[in-house]
Amino acid sequence: MTATAETAVAAPPAGHAKGGPSLAGWLVRGVLLLPLVYFFLSVIPGSADLTERGTEWVVFALVGISLNIIIGYTGQLSLGHQGFVGVGAFAAAYSLTVHQVPFALSIILAIVVGGLFAMLIGFAALRITGLYLSLITLVFGITLEQSLFQQPDLTNGGAGQPAYKPDALIEPSRYYFFCLAILVVIVFIDWRLTSTKAGRALFALRENERVAAAFGINVTAYKLLAFVMSGAIAGLAGALFAFKSEQVTGEDYDFFLALTFVLMVVVGGLNSRFGVLVGAFLFSRIGLDYAIERFHWIHELLVEGFLFVPGFGEERIQFAPRLIGAFLLLLTLLQFPGGIAQQLRPFTRWFAGGPFSFKHDVDGGPGTVEGSSVRA
Amino acid sequence: MSVLEVRDLSIRFGGLQALEGFNLDVNEWEIVGLIGPNGAGKTTAFNCITGFYKPDTGTVRYRGADVTRVPPHRKAAMGFGRTFQNVGMVKSATAIENLKTAQHAKIEYDTASGLIGAGPTWREEKQLEGRADAILDLLGLNAIRDSKVGGLSYGTLKLLELGCALATDPDILLLDEPSSGMGPEESEELGDRLLALRQEFGLTMLLIEHHVPLVLRVCDHVYVLNFGRLLAEGKPSVIQTHPEVVAAYLGGEAPEALEATQETEEDAALDAMTHAAVEHHAEVAPPARKRAAPRKAPAKKAAPRKKAAAASQEPAEPAEDAE
Repeated sequence: MTATAETAVAAPPAGHAKGGPSLAGWLVRGVLLLPLVYFFLSVIPGSADLTERGTEWVVFALVGISLNIIIGYTGQLSLGHQGFVGVGAFAAAYSLTVHQVPFALSIILAIVVGGLFAMLIGFAALRITGLYLSLITLVFGITLEQSLFQQPDLTNGGAGQPAYKPDALIEPSRYYFFCLAILVVIVFIDWRLTSTKAGRALFALRENERVAAAFGINVTAYKLLAFVMSGAIAGLAGALFAFKSEQVTGEDYDFFLALTFVLMVVVGGLNSRFGVLVGAFLFSRIGLDYAIERFHWIHELLVEGFLFVPGFGEERIQFAPRLIGAFLLLLTLLQFPGGIAQQLRPFTRWFAGGPFSFKHDVDGGPGTVEGSSVRA
Repeated sequence: MSVLEVRDLSIRFGGLQALEGFNLDVNEWEIVGLIGPNGAGKTTAFNCITGFYKPDTGTVRYRGADVTRVPPHRKAAMGFGRTFQNVGMVKSATAIENLKTAQHAKIEYDTASGLIGAGPTWREEKQLEGRADAILDLLGLNAIRDSKVGGLSYGTLKLLELGCALATDPDILLLDEPSSGMGPEESEELGDRLLALRQEFGLTMLLIEHHVPLVLRVCDHVYVLNFGRLLAEGKPSVIQTHPEVVAAYLGGEAPEALEATQETEEDAALDAMTHAAVEHHAEVAPPARKRAAPRKAPAKKAAPRKKAAAASQEPAEPAEDAE
């Protein structure tokens, strides 16, 4: 421990070279980023199949950011996030179709309802933490799925509540851009969250509520804020998902979806916006699923060849992504706690204007949750 | 008017009466020490004063206002800066981030405008960083600016924690064993620092401390707790020869203590106290230093006490925040 401290003291922080890269340096970075921009702004909207998958990625990314607020920033585990997404989807579809509210208002309602439901969990989180809170979120999600999401009023008698997009967004690529714009706004808000007082407050109370209180942080209010924000963003994601599929059924929001959400956030990289976006990409149907469908040999190799599971037809093609997902989770938990974001850190750091090196930064990397020994 | 006035404070944890009828006064510009053997209830008293515990009975008044039931985060905003016995900081964050976090209550923009990235928030974030850097300068901790707190040595941590308490812009500073983990020289330096901080920021302090030379050097007044009760109070020079205090530290009864008054400052008692202190802190300081310190302390003590009295008549000039 002291050794790391001394090296940190001895070496002036290299990442803080004043001024950063030159104009040319920024230009090079910009040019290198162009393919990525081209992919998201041109390739995806160019193909109907990819647009559909790309929109799902945006929704997953929103859920990922929402979930990261709870898992990453407050250090609690939510296993019921499909519930928040689901109530958002139903709120939007129900208010739009049954009560004929305008499109924008239906989305706002989804945000509000998502936030309110999450506030309930937030109140529980004030008293309960850790495993038991995870259990509560798990039960919460499954209960919603089994009760509220089965209400005939909401589900249009079980057939699914229609949620039609307004005419201006009927074009799938337009809807993709609409969702992408919302994602950009939410990423901005998340960025400001982590770089202003609210984010610092959350990090402080994640580690030690007493210390946070001694710093003047209202522990109750910020815990609730974290849950409400998370629920509101999940509700928003739900609304966007509802309008994407134009049909909301309870079965869409099952427990497996919650697991996928947790998986993508953890594998992508906790506490890292970038990691969450990558994780969402991987675990939405534009990532692993698409790769396996495009490159069928992966499926053959993994499922039929490697595991000797014969007779898995086209309909069971989802098996391979799940297998890979589980493997990635194990790998993350055992070897790379920072997830994909940690592995890509040399590149992301360089693109952000820092120096390029493969060395792990001792300081300034994604914050890890450490136990605290303060007894007060 | 005293800055902090604690009256008849009692708190019970199950079968343990952690504090009983505890009274304490801290006047403007004073440095008051709270000492006592382990388990005497010192930290419990701190927790009651700062709002972490709700006392069963009694009141805590801050500049005349009853703040007994005020929650800790609001007390921090009112001007209670505190440190913890085992270092209270965000360990996975860097030093500079901790100092920014500590300024939470002083931030003027609200949470929502922070989230939408409103103009003033960017400016104020810059100011926060400036203030944090100023505190690092003040404590000579610039080298660890971007180091994670979790990897620092204990003495550095205690110093940085003091910096975090300062960053909350306190009016009264409550320090829980500020010199723990420090060697004799470092703790002497800490004494200088505390006196300088009082001078510079017009601070009032209450400190729990085991290191006797430090207490003798900086404290204007000392309270001694034992088994949750106030055993004695007075000037440090008087306290160190107080027979009951000596007995409490040594353990057992002090028969002559019962009739002994504060005037009976006999060499035997002084020696006993010194020996007690030496035994208690054998790991912290060599005995020679211990013996020397108490003798020269009383002369030094008189001055700050008078200064404090003067300060309470004419209000201390409001010390500006390190900008």
